[in-house]
Amino acid sequence: MVPLSWYLIFAAALFSIGMFGVLSRRNAVAILLGIELMLNSVNINLAAFWRYGDVHLMAGQVFAIIVFAVAAAEVAVGLALVISVYRSRRTVVADEIDMMKW
Amino acid sequence: METTTLIWLIPLPPLLAFFLIVLFTNRSKALSHTIAVGAAALSFIGSMIVFVRALGVEHLGEHPFESAINWLPTGDTWFRIGVLIDPLGAAVLFFVAITIFMIFLYSVGYHNYGQPAGDHDVKGLPPHGATVTDEHGHKHVVPSVEPMYSRFFAFLGLFAFGMYTLVVSDNLLTLFVGWEIMGLCSYLLIGFWYGKPSARDAAVKAFMTTRVGDVFMLLGIAFLYSATGTLTFREIFTEETLHALASTPAWFGMTASGLIALLLFIGTVGKSAQWPLHVWLPDAMEGPTPVSAMIHAATMVSAGVYAVIRMFPLLTADWNGHELTTTMTIVAFIGAFTALFAATIAVAQNDIKRVLAYSTISQLGYMIAALGIGAYVAAAFHLITHAFFKALLFLGSGSVIHGMEHGVLHTGNHHVDPQDMYNMGGLRKKMPITFWTFLIGGFALSGFPLVTAGFWSKDEILADAFGHGHLAVFVTLAIAAFLTAFYTMRQITLTFLGEPRTEEAKHAQETPWTMTTPLIVLAFFAVTYGWVGISEHFPILGGLVPNWFHDFVGHTLAEVPEAPEFSWIPLLTSLVVALGGLALGYLTYRNVKSVSEDKFQIPLLKNKYYFDEAYNFLFIRPAYWFAENVVYKFLDKGVIDGFLHAFGPFTQGTGSALRNYFDLPVINRAIGDGSAEITYWFGGKLRGIQTGRVQQYLMLALVTFIVIGAALYFFVFAA
Amino acid sequence: MDFISTHLLSTILFFPALAALVMLFLPKDEAKLHKWFALAASLVPFVLSLVLWFNFDPSQPGYQFEEMYTWYAAIGSSLHLGVDGLSLSMVLLTTLLTPIAILASFSINDRTKAYMMLFLFLETGMLGVFMALDLLIFFVFWEVGLVPMYFLINQWGSANRNYASLKFMIYTMGGSLGLLLAVQLLGVLFKTYDLQTITEQWSAYTAPIGGIPASTFKTVAFWAFVIAFAVKVPLWPFHTWLPDAHTEAPTAGSMILAGVLLKLGAYGFLRLVLPLYPAEAKYFAGALAFLAVAAIVFGAFGSYAQTDFKRLVAYSSVNHMGFVVLGIAAAAYAAGTADARIALNGAILQMFNHGLSAAGMFFLVGVIYERTHTRNLEEFGGLFPLVPVYGGILIFTSMASLGLPGLNGFISEFLVVRGSFGVGVNSVPVMAVYTAVAMLGLLFTGAYILKGIKKVLHGPMNEHWAHGEHKLTEINTREIIVMVPLMVLILWIGLYPSWILDVINKAVVMLF
Repeated sequence: MVPLSWYLIFAAALFSIGMFGVLSRRNAVAILLGIELMLNSVNINLAAFWRYGDVHLMAGQVFAIIVFAVAAAEVAVGLALVISVYRSRRTVVADEIDMMKW
Repeated sequence: METTTLIWLIPLPPLLAFFLIVLFTNRSKALSHTIAVGAAALSFIGSMIVFVRALGVEHLGEHPFESAINWLPTGDTWFRIGVLIDPLGAAVLFFVAITIFMIFLYSVGYHNYGQPAGDHDVKGLPPHGATVTDEHGHKHVVPSVEPMYSRFFAFLGLFAFGMYTLVVSDNLLTLFVGWEIMGLCSYLLIGFWYGKPSARDAAVKAFMTTRVGDVFMLLGIAFLYSATGTLTFREIFTEETLHALASTPAWFGMTASGLIALLLFIGTVGKSAQWPLHVWLPDAMEGPTPVSAMIHAATMVSAGVYAVIRMFPLLTADWNGHELTTTMTIVAFIGAFTALFAATIAVAQNDIKRVLAYSTISQLGYMIAALGIGAYVAAAFHLITHAFFKALLFLGSGSVIHGMEHGVLHTGNHHVDPQDMYNMGGLRKKMPITFWTFLIGGFALSGFPLVTAGFWSKDEILADAFGHGHLAVFVTLAIAAFLTAFYTMRQITLTFLGEPRTEEAKHAQETPWTMTTPLIVLAFFAVTYGWVGISEHFPILGGLVPNWFHDFVGHTLAEVPEAPEFSWIPLLTSLVVALGGLALGYLTYRNVKSVSEDKFQIPLLKNKYYFDEAYNFLFIRPAYWFAENVVYKFLDKGVIDGFLHAFGPFTQGTGSALRNYFDLPVINRAIGDGSAEITYWFGGKLRGIQTGRVQQYLMLALVTFIVIGAALYFFVFAA
Repeated sequence: MDFISTHLLSTILFFPALAALVMLFLPKDEAKLHKWFALAASLVPFVLSLVLWFNFDPSQPGYQFEEMYTWYAAIGSSLHLGVDGLSLSMVLLTTLLTPIAILASFSINDRTKAYMMLFLFLETGMLGVFMALDLLIFFVFWEVGLVPMYFLINQWGSANRNYASLKFMIYTMGGSLGLLLAVQLLGVLFKTYDLQTITEQWSAYTAPIGGIPASTFKTVAFWAFVIAFAVKVPLWPFHTWLPDAHTEAPTAGSMILAGVLLKLGAYGFLRLVLPLYPAEAKYFAGALAFLAVAAIVFGAFGSYAQTDFKRLVAYSSVNHMGFVVLGIAAAAYAAGTADARIALNGAILQMFNHGLSAAGMFFLVGVIYERTHTRNLEEFGGLFPLVPVYGGILIFTSMASLGLPGLNGFISEFLVVRGSFGVGVNSVPVMAVYTAVAMLGLLFTGAYILKGIKKVLHGPMNEHWAHGEHKLTEINTREIIVMVPLMVLILWIGLYPSWILDVINKAVVMLF
C-alpha cells in the first residue's frame, strides 16, 4: 500500500498551489478557484487520515462531506458576490475592489 | 355633709365662677358679679362650717380632718393628694374666707357697678368717668363702670381658688399649685390695666421676681420628695422622718432638713416679698385696689408666711431649742432686716397705697423673724391679725382713692393724683366711715395698746424674741415697730386730719355700702381678734379671757410650744414704741401743708435704696445682654451656625478641589481622554495596512502565521 | 370589622398613605374637597387609635396588637408592628395632632392637593416610627417622615424657606447616617433586625467583633444612635436647624414639627438607646445631662433674645425638650430605681405635653401672622382689646408652656425635676447640680413667655391694627375648634394626669 506520507505530500503540494493561486491571481474568479484547491487538499488529508487511522471512526469522512458542502456553498456565495461586484464596478480584479478600507 | 367632702368642695365655687364667667357670662356684668360673689359666699359658708366643726373636735391636732386620693402614679407607688384641716389650717381658713368674701363684695362698689359706661373708656385702661345729664339738663361727670368688669371677677375667682387650694392642701405639691395659680392671678390682676406700660411692667416684675423664689421652692420640694418619698405634711412631720432628715448631712454644711427648709423659705422670700426679693410688691400697687388687698392681706403674701409656718417642724427639725441653726438664723435675719428696712422706706412714700405696701413687707418681716427665732404661735397669730387689719387698711385706702376720684371728676382736673396723700387732708368729715375704720386699722397696725389686735400679736413676737434672748432681733423689731407707728400716724394725719389741701379733697365723697360694709366687718375683727390670744401671764387681763389661740393653734405641732415667760421689758417697749410713734407722727405732720415741708423726703428712702436700679443694672440688663449677644448671636448664630455655614463651603471646596485637581485632570484628561487619544493615534498609524485588498490581507496572515509558527516551533516545541 | 380588629395597627399606619394615594385621583382645583377629604381621612386613624387606647391593657407586659409580615426575608427584616404604653401615647398624640394640623391649614389655598397629600404621607411616616418593632423598618419610616416635611417647608414656607428646608434636611440626614451604619452593624451581627431579639442579645453582647473589643463598637454605635436622635430632639448644640425650620415652615408644618417630629428623637432615646445600651447610657449619662441642661438654659436664653414671635416659640421647644432628655439622662444614671422611673414618667409625659402646648403656640402665632403678615414682636402691642378671645387663648396656652401648676406642663416638669434631683440626692450627686442649673432655665422660661405676652397683648395699643384695612379680626370659629381639643387636654392632664400617666407609668415600670 502506498504510505500515508505520499498522500500528505500530495495534499501539501496541492494546498501550496491553491494558496499561490489565491495570493497571486488578479482575477477574483481565479482566487475562488485557488480556494477550492486548498479545500480539496484538506479533504485529501481528511480522507487519508481516516483510511490510515481507525476505520470505524467516521469523523474523517463526515468532515470531508461537510467541507464539500461548505465549499459548494462558498463558491455559490463567492461567485454571486463576484458577479454583483462586476455589475457595479465593471471589474473582477481583486486589487481594484478596495473600497472596504479605512 | 361629711366634713372632709365639704373641705374638698371649698375651693371649687370660685374656680367654677372663673370658668362660667370666662366662657359664658362675660358680657353680663350683673350675672358675672352675682356668680363671683355668690361663689365667694359659698366658699365662705363652707369654710365657716368647717371652722366651727373644727372647733368642736378635741385634739384636732392629732386627729385633723383629712382625706386623700391617688393622683400621680410614680413607679410602683402613687403620689396622693388630699385635703387637711388641722388647727393651723382652720385658723387660716377662717381669716382667708372672711377677707376674700369681703374683698369680693367690695369690688362691686370699687368698680362702679351700676354706673354708666365711660365716654372714652377702653379696655385695658382705668375708667375715666362718664358724662350724664340730669333732669334739669345739667351735665355731670360721674364715675364710670370698669370696662372689663366681668373679667375682674373671673380673675378674682381664680385667685380665691388658688388661696383656698393652698390652705386646704395636705401636701406641698398642691400647696405649690395654689401658690403658682395665685402667682398667675397676681400677674393678671396687677397687669389688669395692661394698657398702662407701668402696670404691664409691674405685672411681669411681680411674676418674675416671685418665680425666682418659686424655682428654688420647686427644687426644695423635689429635694424633700426625693429624701422622704412623700410630700404629705403629716407623713413628713413624723418623729422618724424629721429625725432622719435632721441627721442627714447635705451640702454646704447643712443638714438635709435645714437645706430643704432654706430652699422652701426662698420661695417664701419671693412670695412674701422679703428682702432681697421685695421689689415687686410696691409696684404691684398698679393693680386695682381690691387686688392690692387680695394680694397683700388675704392671700398671696400670707401664703408665703403660711408656707413657712406649715413647714415649721422641718425648719426646726435640727434645732435644739436654744442655738439657732444656720437656716433659722438666715430666716430670722431676713425677717428682722426686712421689717426695719421696709419700714424706713415707708416713711418717705407719698402714695397712700405704697405706704401700705411697704408696711406689708415690714409686717411680713415680723412674722418671718418670729419664725426664725422659733416663735410659732406668735407668727401665726400675727399673720391672722395682720390679714384683718391690712385688708381693712387697703380697702380703706381704696375707699379714700375712690372718694378722691369723685373729687377729681367733679373738678375735671385730671392732673391731680388721687393717690397722693399731699392732695388729701381733712377727709374725716367727708368720709366718716372710711375714716373711723381706717383709724382702727392704722392703730392695729401700730400696735395701739390693749384694744387693737395688732398690739397683742406684735407684743407676743417681741416677748418671744426677748424671752429667748434674741436681743438683736428684739431691738430691730422694736425700732421697726416704732417706725410703723410713726408712718401710720403720718398717713392718717395727712389723709384725714387737718384741712383739705386741694379742691378735689373738698369734693370727695363717702363710698357706697358695698365698700363700707367690708370695712366695718374687717374693723370688727381688727379689734376683737386680738382678744383670743392674750397671753395668760399678761398682768390683769391675762387669764380673764383664755389664751384660746395659743392653745388651739399650738396643738398643730406634736409638742405644744410654751408661751414665753412674762417680762415687763418687752411690754413696756411695745407700749413706748407704739404710743411714741403715733404721737411723734401726729406732731410732726399736724401742720405740714405741702410735700416740700416734709423732712423725711430723703432721696435714698424715696428711691427705695435704689434697689430697682441696682437689679436692673446687675441682673435684668446683663441677662438680656447674655441672651441676645452671647447665647443667640454668639453661640447659635456665630459658633454653631458658623460652624455649619463653614461646613457648607468646606464640603463645596473639597468637592470642587476634587473636581478641578483630580476628576478633570486625572480621570477625565489622563485616563478618559488619554486612552481615547492613544487609541486614536495608534489607529491612525495602523490604518495604513488596511488597504482593502484581499490578497494583501491574506499575505499578511500567511506571513504572521509563518512567523508565529516558526517562533512556536523554535521556542516552544523545540525547546 | 374583624379585619380591622386583627389589623388595627397596620390600618392606622397605612390608612393615611392610602388616602393620599386616593387623593391623586381627585380633581386638581377643588381646594375645598381636598381639605375636607384630608381631614376626614386623618380622623379615621384618630378614631381607630382611640379604639386602640381603650382596648389596650396597660398592666400586661410587652407589646400588644403585634403584627408581623414578611418584608425583606433575605436580610432578616420584617414588617413587625406593635405598641406598648410608651408608643401608644405617642401614636395617640400623632393621630390627634394630624387632623388638628390639617384643620389648621384650611386657610391654605395654594396647591392644596399636593399639600394635603404630603401631610397624609407625613402621618404614615411618623406613625411608622412609633409602631415599628424592627430596626430597619424603624429607620425606613424615620427617613420617610423627612421627605414630606422637606417639601412642606420648601414649597409652602415663608421667605427664607429654601435655606431652612435645606438645613433641616441636611442636619437630619447627617444625623441619621451614623444611625444607619449602627443599625446595619446590628443587622449583620444578629442576622435579624427584630427589635426584641436584638435588645435581648445586644445589651449582653461581649464577644469581640473583627478583633475589636465589643465595648469599643458599642460605644461608637451608642454615639451614632445618640447623635441621630439628638439632632431630632434637638439637643444643644444640634439645635440650630430648629428655629429656622420652625420659623419658615407653614403654620401646620410647625405644629407637626414641634408636636410630633421632635418626639421621634426622644422616642428613639427611650425605645432604642436605653434598652440597647444600658451600660453605655449610664457611663455617658453625665454628658447627656450636661447637653440637656445646656439645651434648657440656652434654649430659654435664646428664646428670650428673640424679636420674632415664631422664633421665640421655636426656641422654647429647645428649652422644653431639654427636660425630656434630662429625665432620660437621670434615668440612665440610676436605671431601675424609683427616681429613674419618676424621671422617665416625667420625660414621656413632657413629650406628650410639649406636643400639645407647642402645637397650640405655633398655631396661635400662625393665627396672628395670617392677619398681620408680620411676626415682629415690636410691631404688635396692646392687641388684647382688639382680640380678647384670642388673647385669652394665647395666655392660657402660654401658661401651659410656662409650666403653670394646674396645667399639663407643670406635672411633667415637676416629675422630671423630682426624678433627676432624686437621682442627685440618692445616687449621683452631680445630677443635683444639673437639676439646680436647669432651674435657671425654668426661671427664664417665665421670662420669655411673659415677654411674648407683654409684647403682643399688653401695653399701649398699636393703632395700626385698630382701624381700616389693617384692622385685626378676632380668631374665627374654625381656629377656635383647632384650639379647643388642645386646651381641654392641657387642662385635663394638668388637673388629673393619671389617665395617661398610669399607662405611661406601667410601661416604664415594665421596661426600665
